[in-house]
Amino acid sequence: MSEGILSVTPYFIKVWARNAQVFLTLWKFNFLPALTEPLLFIFVMGLGIGSYINEIEGVPYLDFVAAGILGSAAIMQATFECTYGSFFRMRMQNTFESIISTPVSADEVGLAEVAWGATRGLVNATLVFLILLFMGIFHRWQVVFLPALMFLAAANFAAIALLVTSRIAQMEYFRFYFAGFVLPAQFLCGTFFPVSRFPEAIQVFAWIIPFTSYIDISRSLMLDRPAAALPLELLYAVGTTVIFTELAVRSMHRRLVR
Amino acid sequence: MIQLMIIEAKSLNKKFGDVVAVESLDFEVGRGRCYGLVGPNGAGKTTTMKMIYCIAEPTSGTLNVFGLNVLEHPREIKARLGVVPQENNLDPDLSTCQNLRVYARYFGIPRDIAAERCQNLLEFMHLSDRADSPVPSLSGGMKRRLILARALMNDPELIILDEPTTGLDPQVRHLIWDRLLELKERGITLLLTTHYMDEAQKLCDEILIMDEARSVDVGTPGELIRGHVRPFVLELRADRTRVAEILERFGYLEHQASGQNLYFYGNTTEEFDELYGAFPDVEHLLRPASLEDVFLKLTGREIRQ
Repeated sequence: MSEGILSVTPYFIKVWARNAQVFLTLWKFNFLPALTEPLLFIFVMGLGIGSYINEIEGVPYLDFVAAGILGSAAIMQATFECTYGSFFRMRMQNTFESIISTPVSADEVGLAEVAWGATRGLVNATLVFLILLFMGIFHRWQVVFLPALMFLAAANFAAIALLVTSRIAQMEYFRFYFAGFVLPAQFLCGTFFPVSRFPEAIQVFAWIIPFTSYIDISRSLMLDRPAAALPLELLYAVGTTVIFTELAVRSMHRRLVR
Repeated sequence: MIQLMIIEAKSLNKKFGDVVAVESLDFEVGRGRCYGLVGPNGAGKTTTMKMIYCIAEPTSGTLNVFGLNVLEHPREIKARLGVVPQENNLDPDLSTCQNLRVYARYFGIPRDIAAERCQNLLEFMHLSDRADSPVPSLSGGMKRRLILARALMNDPELIILDEPTTGLDPQVRHLIWDRLLELKERGITLLLTTHYMDEAQKLCDEILIMDEARSVDVGTPGELIRGHVRPFVLELRADRTRVAEILERFGYLEHQASGQNLYFYGNTTEEFDELYGAFPDVEHLLRPASLEDVFLKLTGREIRQ
């Protein structure tokens, strides 16, 4: 049986549609709670701490931290969806086994999960985007590219999360993943202040995590300043997304088809 | 005309690491037959089924379903069969009807046809009044019926049933049996595993007995009974000293002992007359031999894992 992204057919959309249907059925549990975190971030970081900081890199603090808040909304939602969400569907509900007993393949389930995690991240980031828009934080038309960039960021983190999910025997291992990767990503990647404040070793570590690139590109779109190395950062973002999606899809195949 | 076999397995092997789950299995299932796989837990029945519906891959040997190789054509094979897995895997976040309709999408069945089939199948399985119920509110028997309805959504030619009636009350078991026999009458091929020998005897045209990853014997229920045990069984139940006494005198008759139970096998009921006369007070039951006797004879009466 062939494996990987290249073996996937449009059947994967049916699995995505199943997740979307369940999401919409449970919408009241899904939309509002996910917004609490970004709203608290805006309130605490932007309006609270921000009132003590006049400017950071020449802009008001809330303008600066907006990229971090937006990016966090995308990657955290995607991560939760493809860790606990996917694991629950795989192990507790046996949903994946029921799906691969139909013409849908395990690889298609894997890709659908990544696509669904990316969708959840996009939905969440779009809501935050609209809030920031109404708050009058955006000043440049280039911000129209932000939702697409957030979709890519969410797909990237969904793929990494699904790779972990496909490898672990029990849910408790996610604690290591969150402590060792997700939280450092959220805090070290230039979310709240520039990465350049860190010692060099930590800067290298931060740039290895793709989130740093996403935040840097976001900031270049929101604020009138260039990204550190736009083509390279984009290449890294797209490249890691493709590679981790391929790895996750293959690993999911090995997990489901034995 | 060549009779196309729905399932053909030749020296089929499956290993999980060093663990042998299925070893040199050969069997064939013809169209419209009900074929049973029976054996103790861990015998390899479920693994065999999973290879047939292409969610486990054979380690070696060949396995063809509808004349198609399972490693080369999983999608085509899966499109033509229905699965009732051992463990319920319904979508708990969706209603009864939504479960069927979402499942239909995986087969690319158009909406209107799916809606019609959903209605018909819920009726067929006596679930029409629960069409909009959330799955967690259904009883165990209803969930099982819903899974069978789901397995029929794609109008399959082959239905694979892994312990379809385990843990169900007699009413639901009989309803499921009736439905399965009705499906068989329509020409649908059935492959089922069960731990209930009465179920296997009632439904199956042919039975494969598996033990420790291998085939032990295969045949119709009648053939298996005639081939392995005598037609009559006298069951005796007594305390240990009594069991010893009985065995001392009548141990020459064909028998099996299991704790306080003794099973004597005979070609005629008269063979038991002397034994019965010698111990008239012992609790006893004289009955025709059944598939259960064959099963226990071939796989032993001791508990496995």
